[in-house]
Amino acid sequence: MTAIDCPGLAAPTRPRRTPRQRRDTRAAYAFVAPFLFLLLLFQYIPLAMMAKNAFMDYSLLNPDAAKFVGLLNFEDMLVFDDARESLAATFLFAFGVVAIVIPLGFVLALFLNSKLPARGIVRTIIMLPVVTSAVVVATMWNFLLDPSNGLVNGAVTAVGLPRQPFLTSPDQALVMIAVMTAWQQVGFAAILFLGGLQGVPKELAEAARIDGATAGQVLWNITIPLLSRTTLFVVVIMTVFSLQAFAPAFLMTDGGPQDSTNLIVYHIYKTAFVMQNAGYASALSVVLLVIVLGISLLQMWLLRARWNY
Amino acid sequence: MARFRKPVLLALVLALILLCFFAPFLWIVSNSFKPQLGIFSDVTPISWRTFLPMDPVWENYRSLFARTNILQALLNTAIVAAGQVALTLLLCAMAAYALTRIRFRGSQAVFVVILLTFLLPVEALLVPLYQVVSGLGLSNTLTGIMIPWIASPFGLFLLKQAFEELPRDLEDAARIDGAGHLRIFVSVILPNVKVPLLTLGLVTFLFSWNSFLWPLVIAQSPEVQVIQVAIAQQGSPTQLPNWGETFAGATVATLPLIVLFLLLQKYFTQGMAMSGIKG
Amino acid sequence: MKPVLFATLIGGTALAALPALAQDAACEGEPVTLRILRTPGNYPYPAPMEAWQKDHPCVSFEINEVPFAQLADTISVQASSDNPPDILVYDGPNTQSYAKAGILLPLTGYLPEGWDDEILPATKAEHSYDGEVYSPGIEQTTVAMYYNKALTGAAGITPPQTLDEAWTWPEALEAFKACQQGEPGAPEVWGLGPTRFGNGQPGLVYQDLIYQRSAGDPDADPESSAWKTFWAMAPDGSTAEGYLDTPEAIEALDFYRSLFNEEGVAPKAGIPNAFFDGKACFYIDTPAAGSALLKDPVIEWGITPIPYFKTPVVHTGSTTFGVASRSRHPEIAVQFAVDMAWGEYAYMNVSQRGNLPTLASLFERFPVYQDYPMKVFVDQLEAWGQPRPPSPHFAQYDRIVTDALRSVAFGGDPEEAMADAEREVARALRR
Repeated sequence: MTAIDCPGLAAPTRPRRTPRQRRDTRAAYAFVAPFLFLLLLFQYIPLAMMAKNAFMDYSLLNPDAAKFVGLLNFEDMLVFDDARESLAATFLFAFGVVAIVIPLGFVLALFLNSKLPARGIVRTIIMLPVVTSAVVVATMWNFLLDPSNGLVNGAVTAVGLPRQPFLTSPDQALVMIAVMTAWQQVGFAAILFLGGLQGVPKELAEAARIDGATAGQVLWNITIPLLSRTTLFVVVIMTVFSLQAFAPAFLMTDGGPQDSTNLIVYHIYKTAFVMQNAGYASALSVVLLVIVLGISLLQMWLLRARWNY
Repeated sequence: MARFRKPVLLALVLALILLCFFAPFLWIVSNSFKPQLGIFSDVTPISWRTFLPMDPVWENYRSLFARTNILQALLNTAIVAAGQVALTLLLCAMAAYALTRIRFRGSQAVFVVILLTFLLPVEALLVPLYQVVSGLGLSNTLTGIMIPWIASPFGLFLLKQAFEELPRDLEDAARIDGAGHLRIFVSVILPNVKVPLLTLGLVTFLFSWNSFLWPLVIAQSPEVQVIQVAIAQQGSPTQLPNWGETFAGATVATLPLIVLFLLLQKYFTQGMAMSGIKG
Repeated sequence: MKPVLFATLIGGTALAALPALAQDAACEGEPVTLRILRTPGNYPYPAPMEAWQKDHPCVSFEINEVPFAQLADTISVQASSDNPPDILVYDGPNTQSYAKAGILLPLTGYLPEGWDDEILPATKAEHSYDGEVYSPGIEQTTVAMYYNKALTGAAGITPPQTLDEAWTWPEALEAFKACQQGEPGAPEVWGLGPTRFGNGQPGLVYQDLIYQRSAGDPDADPESSAWKTFWAMAPDGSTAEGYLDTPEAIEALDFYRSLFNEEGVAPKAGIPNAFFDGKACFYIDTPAAGSALLKDPVIEWGITPIPYFKTPVVHTGSTTFGVASRSRHPEIAVQFAVDMAWGEYAYMNVSQRGNLPTLASLFERFPVYQDYPMKVFVDQLEAWGQPRPPSPHFAQYDRIVTDALRSVAFGGDPEEAMADAEREVARALRR
């Protein structure tokens, strides 16, 4: 904890500092100290605890009785199916969300970037789910997807199709929560794409049109390639966001049926707080952390390397 | 012909968008005004009756406020959100000031320390954070709900960017007058970054109002419960469920944000777009 | 582990507390404040507390409330803090977990004379660990099957009203099918309505583990699968291997699965108030539903005992309380806990809530339970009551087996689900 109190001590002192510089340094540390203190307390210390606890066996009921178990928690991830299944479900979920959000978000952004009427109202309406909480969205969709009384099955039967089990089917539940999450996030993606579209120089498209290119060719050969940076960005955001989803599993499916929607954050929550196996939950958290950091670093590396226009 | 088809197509697309994104909201609100029995009997077959309460009743809202802790939860959420916004703005602005307007030894190191946390997925820290915060005796307190998020790396970067765009000469005059850093910060810098502050404030408010997992874990006591947790737990195991109340609760929990969003849409959208940086 | 900085802060902030109840008589000794941690509106109730205070004028109370879902976490955090609650009010099956974690004080030596003869055996079993009693128990509850008289009457069904005439599950299924209205799987009126517990989906141990347990036989050879099926976990809580995945259990689960799938007489998802809205012929619930219907009879109703395969069985267990081992006033806290669950105080408590008492002598003071329909609950408790499989890992067992049962109800393979559950339980027990 001592490092928090005077981080300035770490720097070697040199004789050539004026009183003004010393005063500035003191002021600067006074300005960042509260921020840094909270950052250390609520990010670095938990991080260190998590790293340590991943090698312990303990429960939150009695954390003082923790015992060191070496790599057991990580071995368990290989021996038992839960971690593999949970990560697979989470990635599948993220993939589903991205696969829906990217094309739809892009099309909506094209619309918002056009001169067509009613842009303002569409922009507002697609942002409504974005500002609505995951809890309300999940509650809403719970009712929409209810197998016997839900609005969606009401619509399905109205057009003469058989009722669908949705959340109670191991084949449909994950798809449905991915659709729901995509529904919630597509407005966000559209706004991000719109930012990218507005950055595309108009002259390029105009020049191409003068050369006889159709609107479709301009879209395919100019706009989309130029937006690859934005697209990658949106893909990463949506992926990272989806990897951390919790409310759908907690409120809609309890991770089921047959663990098909056992998203990793929900699995961590359940392991720590219901199963009282906080050591294993910490090990799972480490894995999640490594995956998310890996994706973010990959994004940084990709964005640095190419597509500098 | 094409000239005629286009508006029709456009109208169809718009209707579809409206149906997909707006109808569920309409359904929730309308259900909150229906008596228990009507809610589900109006679903099949689908008709306009599904989306409009024929004989609107206030019963669900009345019992929601009379029987549950929803009012307390709304108040708690407002306090937490207000506190979180105020403290986030203060701490982030102070830190951004130091990092952009003062040249000091170790600023690089400080920056790296903050940068490293930028990519941390907060959900992964759930368990140890729970131990730290309850170890501080802050479980089941409103402070405990907000305090881990006040030092927001996203907020710092957003403001840092804004601060960097301000010209140097802005504070030079004040400095020549002998103003100290505190005075420059308060009376020269802050008045020039009102829009970024508003944007960050709105995003923080949204984040705080909608947060669920952390309050669920750290603050369960009815006196400190926030709105999202209260909504999520309306189907309590000791009571027969009242789904009309659930819809009313969802409406009440969402309405303040929607109103705020409609009023300040531009800043919201800007802030959301920037929050994408963090993901 | 706990930094000094943290420790000094702990005392300062605690749960937001309700105002302490006022003291009536004058106190001539050291004043004592007992801190109670409970779920909202739960035991102990104000009337018996105030009555008790008249005899103990030096004691005042401070009550902290947390919702049911988070009670276990809060207990864990609070009980190991420097300023722990004295009385913990919690869900009964957790007694053994808490006893094992050292959170509860044993009460065996403090129980009043005659307690052993008065207490329901299922309650005592649930609250005992390693030969000690950790909670006196305050109420009991269990489930029975309600039915809508108009609907069963229309179908020409007369459900049995006494235990010795109780249906077997196949008989009950015939009644569900006869009474159901509409296409199986999506009828207008369901044969068997959904639970109101949790999210309304099937699978809860409390309600649905009794299918397979009733296919077992407690009088069979303890090595036999029939015996193991009945217990659903080794009675000493040491293992579940060979207890869930037995031929008898699988057969019962095949039947259980058919209710939701092939036969389509029970829904897979919750339907709000289905039974009360006349959308279900039969419905399984605790006395709470009966109390609600007695107060507001929205339909004509009756109660029939829970059906069975071979051995009738119902689960018992409810809210209870105990004394925290780190209590600063253990003597007075123990006194309070034991008193609240005995004699007049127990009556005052239980009568507030409408569930069943745990003491034999109190039953006659609840007239509603003297006669049909509510009498079915009393009879079931006495004749068929079993605690949910007691073990210091109940919370884990409960969750694992619920998930397994739910996956069967949703159409999964029983054999696979139960084998999986046994493996997961073994993993939880390893620690």
